[in-house]
Amino acid sequence: MINVMRTQTKKGATHMRKIYTVILAVMFALAAGAAIAQEYPAKPINLIVPFAPGGASDVVARIISPLMSKELGQQIVVDNRAGASGNIGVAYAARASNDGYNVLLGNIGTMAINPALFKKFPVKPVRDFVAVTQVVDAPTALVLHPSIPAKTVKEFIEYAKARPGKLNFGTAGPGSNGRLEMELFMDYTGIDLVHVPYKGGAGAAAIGLLSGEVQCGFQTLASVITHVNAGKLKVVGIAAQKRIAALPDVPIMPELGYESMKSGSWQGVYVPAGTPAPIVNRLFAVMTRVMADPGVVKRLGDSGIEAVTSKSPEEFAAFMKNENEKWAKVVQKVGVVMD
Amino acid sequence: MEMFQHLFFGFSVALSIQNLLYCFIGCLLGTLIGVLPGIGPLATIAMLMPITFNLPAVSALIMLAGIFYGAQYGGSTTAILVNLPGETSAVVTCMDGYQMARQGRAGVALAIAAVGSFFAGTFCTMLIALFGPPIAEMALKFNSPEYFSLMLMGLVAAAVLAQGDMAKSLAMVTLGLLLGSVGTDVDSGWARFSFDIIELTDGIGFVVVAIGVFAVGEIVSNLGEAEERQVFTSKVGTLFPTVEDVKRSIGPIIRGTLLGAFFGVLPGTGPAIASFSSYMVEKKVAKDPSRFGHGAIEGVAGPESANNADAQCKFIPMLTLGIPASGTMALMLGALMIHGIAPGPTVMTKNPDLFWGLIASMWVGNLMLVLLNLPLIGLWVSLLKVPYRLLFPAIMVFSSIGIYSVNNSPFDIYLTAAFGLLGFLWLKLECPPAPLMLGFVLGPMMEENLRRALLISRGDPTIFLRRPISLGFVVATVLIVVLMAAPVMRKKRGSITG
Repeated sequence: MINVMRTQTKKGATHMRKIYTVILAVMFALAAGAAIAQEYPAKPINLIVPFAPGGASDVVARIISPLMSKELGQQIVVDNRAGASGNIGVAYAARASNDGYNVLLGNIGTMAINPALFKKFPVKPVRDFVAVTQVVDAPTALVLHPSIPAKTVKEFIEYAKARPGKLNFGTAGPGSNGRLEMELFMDYTGIDLVHVPYKGGAGAAAIGLLSGEVQCGFQTLASVITHVNAGKLKVVGIAAQKRIAALPDVPIMPELGYESMKSGSWQGVYVPAGTPAPIVNRLFAVMTRVMADPGVVKRLGDSGIEAVTSKSPEEFAAFMKNENEKWAKVVQKVGVVMD
Repeated sequence: MEMFQHLFFGFSVALSIQNLLYCFIGCLLGTLIGVLPGIGPLATIAMLMPITFNLPAVSALIMLAGIFYGAQYGGSTTAILVNLPGETSAVVTCMDGYQMARQGRAGVALAIAAVGSFFAGTFCTMLIALFGPPIAEMALKFNSPEYFSLMLMGLVAAAVLAQGDMAKSLAMVTLGLLLGSVGTDVDSGWARFSFDIIELTDGIGFVVVAIGVFAVGEIVSNLGEAEERQVFTSKVGTLFPTVEDVKRSIGPIIRGTLLGAFFGVLPGTGPAIASFSSYMVEKKVAKDPSRFGHGAIEGVAGPESANNADAQCKFIPMLTLGIPASGTMALMLGALMIHGIAPGPTVMTKNPDLFWGLIASMWVGNLMLVLLNLPLIGLWVSLLKVPYRLLFPAIMVFSSIGIYSVNNSPFDIYLTAAFGLLGFLWLKLECPPAPLMLGFVLGPMMEENLRRALLISRGDPTIFLRRPISLGFVVATVLIVVLMAAPVMRKKRGSITG
């Protein structure tokens, strides 16, 4: 009798233990699921900058990362992966894990122009990244050396038309956005300028402009503003959506009829394709707050860069696609091939 | 005189406790990263910039500037001790400085390097204070034709760097030029000699070649000779220079400073050109040039003064005209702008405390660095007493960390290993690496400037003769060639005297 009872209790105990185990397991699973959703970010996040320290992208990254760290509650590590016009960094970011811990700071060059220039490059930003939001725009300006006696874009066009092939424009390289913008402008206006590339980025081209070696060019406002204020260079038009506070008397290109020249050298935040939507949205919200912070806006503004955010990730994706198409057309027309 | 009033005002700013502290931090950090190969002031300043946002502008700049010239002092330390150039401009110091260390005179080399750098720093501070703006204006007259002619002259004069076999030196220069051509073509954007390796499309890094050829090659060679190390570690002799040493160094220091100041002011000349030129000039004017390459103190005094003068004078175009003469200066410019100050002709009047405070702190920084480095010489030299079997792995580890830190790229490490092998081969074949470095540095810049000059002149080669400054350099080049060719025709020679 007792034996039967003992066996029965044992069986019951095992059965109960099994039930407890199952209940416990389900509880843990639920808790883990909730934890995963709450825990992002649970470790530091890489902010991949495809350019060397000191460049425009790097400066922006270093200005925004402290506040991003604060907002996200985790350290943001700026990871410079420079080389090959930014392609090395882009390739690295595309291969990185898409769990939200790798964020790319892409710009007009890497995300819109390079795909058209480097046809053999396997990474296609439109396909391999999810656009989160634009963060800045560095307006580019049509800058003239004082030796050109023009005070407006119209006068410049007339002056240039009278001297085809005689004037030089300086750029940061054959595939730079300064060059392509000028090619676009030359296409619209029918003027003929000679392209003179400088190695060493926008700074080197600005020096060439100052010394008069080249007479004009599209340069980021940041790299020429001190010289404009000192009267050594003139700005006759700015590619932006609205007038720039630092130069209120200079018209913007859309005002003068050049509708498509309304952004300069823009930068934006991307994550690798396949990153979950909640993470994308979280990053979008964080970036919008960061770029609205007055300290960030001021520091960027003092460097000639404007904090600009998109209305939604989808809007930025559409903008990027548009930019891709626009520059692809210019590249094809000019016939630049870089492989 | 008004200038002294300004300087006095500047010192009152620079000598505040807070600014002195930041200056010290900057100099200390700068020295440390100068000692570490690979990572340089550019990356450090970039990383520390966010920290400076909340500091007042003057303090932030003083600290960042301290990092910059501190690195010049630190870079020569490892160059002298273990043939490891911590900074690109320290490559030249490797050549005679390391030989001096092998002869037990590391302390002397370090002391002279520090003193020479201090003199250069003082001179340049005065130069900036007195002639800042006019010098910068003059620098703007240098366009592509002038740069090309200047570098052509430098390249031709580099035959003076030949130690021993002239043919080998010329071969090394040519090899350097070829290595420099790896990368992206300036005009068309096409990749050259990159063999579809994406990392090569930006060319081979100077640091990679320098560390591979000098440091790694030397280590491999040392490991191959078991007894050599005894000589190295036993003769750690005097720490202080003799009167003879000082007398010999005065001339090179002065000449090096002037040369360094000249190159520093010109935007568009890279690092290392100042120190290379100084070395060549010293070898040319020395009474016994055969000593060079075997521990001639002039080969340390001149280049060290030159590279410090070069570093300080790079501030001139940046501060007075807002023109950055190098990537680091562009970053400093950015830092200034973030603090709301736009450098340019107006900065002297609108922000006098910034301008003069920065200049005064340059001198204070140099003083601090000398005081920091001189007592440490004993410490550095005792490092040489560490058994080589412990020292060389440490060198390799530091070098690898430094190289990796530049671009987070393992490819750079592979490349350094490859150049280490080549460096070892060249050591065994007695091919001097210095001409290779010179060709490697000058080649790409010469090509860029040549093509741009011709582009602007629409293909007309007489542009180099029509512009007066360029013409001057071309004439000098021809003279150098004539002077060197004449003796060669008369006798076969082992080393260049000319």
